[in-house]
Amino acid sequence: MKVFESSCTFEYPWANVSIANWRKYGSWNTQSTHVVAVDTLSRSVDPRTGILTRHLKLRTERLITCKQNAPRWLMKIVGGAEESYVREVSSVDPQQQTVTLRSMNLTGSNIISVQETVVYSPDPSSPKTKTRFQQDAQITAYGAFSKICGAIEDWSVERFGQNALKGRLGFESVLEMSSKAFRDMKLEEGGWRR
Amino acid sequence: MSSSLAPECSEKKERYDTCFIKWYSEKYLRGEGSTNECEGLFKEYKSCLDAALKQKGIHSMIEEARKTSPNNDNAKGLK
Repeated sequence: MKVFESSCTFEYPWANVSIANWRKYGSWNTQSTHVVAVDTLSRSVDPRTGILTRHLKLRTERLITCKQNAPRWLMKIVGGAEESYVREVSSVDPQQQTVTLRSMNLTGSNIISVQETVVYSPDPSSPKTKTRFQQDAQITAYGAFSKICGAIEDWSVERFGQNALKGRLGFESVLEMSSKAFRDMKLEEGGWRR
Repeated sequence: MSSSLAPECSEKKERYDTCFIKWYSEKYLRGEGSTNECEGLFKEYKSCLDAALKQKGIHSMIEEARKTSPNNDNAKGLK
């Protein structure tokens, strides 16, 4: 098993980031070209999570479609599927101000498991204006030959890192565009009620 | 907004996504999010999407993941 970890701070308030999160893989992100589609499978406001309306958690299940080039040796092992699918279950906690996204690959899951967790929360240094992004992934290849597993894991960790960097750069432009679009909503300060 | 894996559903998806983003930013984050005003649009999008998922054989993969994955409602932090 290999572990990938990354974190950074976005110079936007949590509310803006949590809105932009739903647009992360749209046309405003020109970097993450490996994500070709994002579909919502189910979504619900959980009535069990709070008595007050503003404490209700939002649960969303999405299907993310990816298309990316892999080396020939790896394509042979995983069966050469052109498109791969990832299932993501996320939870928004408006009271704690967190967005937690957990995802796992559906394609090739008998050969490799990639489990990712992303959390967006207010940055402790300036919780009203900055948002912390924390990402970790556990990558495990299954198989009889540890050498091949190691090679698959190494390639996957490397690609995961490349995609994570693209994701961060792409999300910066989404945040900029999204903040322009929502500027008149005054989410920055008083508009957001805790 | 991102596209749908099924091009024939993209228009319905866009209508739903637009409704959702508006509800999320204007109501949900402001603590007025108990009603689900985008439900009708979601149903339209979902019936289109479900047909495509079945046709592409993805539906069963999702069902399987719902049963076996630790990545579901009971996962730590999602309660």
